[in-house]
Amino acid sequence: MRIFSALVLTLFILVSASTAVFAGGGGPSKNFTKGVFLEVDKVAGTAVFQASDSDVPETLMLGEDVDAGKISLDQKVMVTLQEKEGGVYASNIEIMFLDLSVSKFITLMVVGLVGGMLSGFIGSGGAFVLTPSMMSLGVPGAIAVASNMCHKFPKALVGTYKRYKYGQVDVKLGLVMAFSAIFGVQVGVTVQKAILNAWGNAGSNLYVSLVFVVVLVVVGGYVFRDAIRLAKHDADDKISPLALKLQQLNIPPMMHFKTAGVRISAWVTLPLGFATGMLAATIAVGGFIGVPGMIYVVGASAMVASATELLIAFVMGTWGSIQWGLSGLIDIRLTLLILSTSLIGVQLGALGTTYVKDYAIKLVMASVMLIVAISRGAKIPGYLGDLGLIAPLGTATASVLDFISFWALVAALGTAGVIITAAMVTGMMKARREEKALATEEV
Amino acid sequence: MMASTSVTKKKPYLQTILFGALSLASYIVLFTHEEWVTDNFTRGGYYVVYPIVTAFWFSFIHGAFGSNLLSALGLEAKVTKKK
Repeated sequence: MRIFSALVLTLFILVSASTAVFAGGGGPSKNFTKGVFLEVDKVAGTAVFQASDSDVPETLMLGEDVDAGKISLDQKVMVTLQEKEGGVYASNIEIMFLDLSVSKFITLMVVGLVGGMLSGFIGSGGAFVLTPSMMSLGVPGAIAVASNMCHKFPKALVGTYKRYKYGQVDVKLGLVMAFSAIFGVQVGVTVQKAILNAWGNAGSNLYVSLVFVVVLVVVGGYVFRDAIRLAKHDADDKISPLALKLQQLNIPPMMHFKTAGVRISAWVTLPLGFATGMLAATIAVGGFIGVPGMIYVVGASAMVASATELLIAFVMGTWGSIQWGLSGLIDIRLTLLILSTSLIGVQLGALGTTYVKDYAIKLVMASVMLIVAISRGAKIPGYLGDLGLIAPLGTATASVLDFISFWALVAALGTAGVIITAAMVTGMMKARREEKALATEEV
Repeated sequence: MMASTSVTKKKPYLQTILFGALSLASYIVLFTHEEWVTDNFTRGGYYVVYPIVTAFWFSFIHGAFGSNLLSALGLEAKVTKKK
């Protein structure tokens, strides 16, 4: 039985690995080029383009949507290429490096600080609000994702180190989850590409938003109920009944996770990591399934789960950054501006966990998940309209929904910031009072 | 245990200033050479080393600055008694 089980598991890993190889990495799609425009011929609808990876300039045909008058010369741009009627057209042109004004500096630093705090406290977060924020500042989508990814791993590294020092990180659980998650990412990317090919951009957006909303509402709602129940009794957490049952499943190979205090079959942890990775590839925030998964499926405490998630984020973030960096899409200036505050925020969030009970972490996590679900949900009518499944939205409705979507994200981050700060200040004051009381007793 | 918590730890002002200065200098160097940096860091291929190593460098020095800054401000993790 043991040998058979190990063999099936090996097979599972090999199949995942081969899928990973065929999927070709979780980086960007290849239908773009980078370089500088040297000359534009408005009448002919063409432009002379010097690609970064070539020595000879080439003439590019401009697509219908491209306004030749708005092309700026001698500035590095990212050009999306589209094959149509026998030729390759430039279908979209975006300036790669936006000029950073003082207000952009400040926006990135504020979002970085609160995003970092959230990360240090619940193990993940920030990414879901950083990418849209950067895009609303005018950063091209791919650059925003890449620069954000490159900010994620140094932040996670510092957060992991801090929480490891507090004895909260289960290194073995983190590594097992991270490596199985990498395979999940590959499969997630393959699914995404298949959907993109079949239903185009609107179909892909709809799929991503639906997964986002369903997962966040179901999981977030469950965590929220649990957090409220625990908060009412001001109680410490108990292991979930599902995790207790799964821990009794004695299917080898069994794994022992010391810090989490759990002995559980690899048949539970590997698929969980895999699912985390798949979700990360789809909605870009794997932690929203990873942390609740480690709590309710594996049976770790919210404290250990959120700390271990940082290690997973570090491994996956490094790997992801290399993928995006190979395509040369990381704007290190954006990365470093966010890091300037998020490296402090993450440590603040991490030390905050030492002053709170488990349910505070769950409460923050659930609130963020539910508000982010609203943000994504507001996008769904637009995508349904694009696909022709409902009548296209009017301009006013569309702008109201966009407004709700963006500000819900800001509200999610703000709410998290307030709950974390309040929980931390209360915890610190209580600890000081206790310390003082003890000191007077001793005297 | 009580003895160790009642002893006031010396605050790491010097480390905060040192790491802060090092970090600030790195930021200044990077942003004053913005053009060279953005150009070379986005070449792709082997040049991936540039952004990755830079991110690690900042995570160490700026992370150390952040850690010392929080300690200097008196923000420390709760001391838990070992069983």
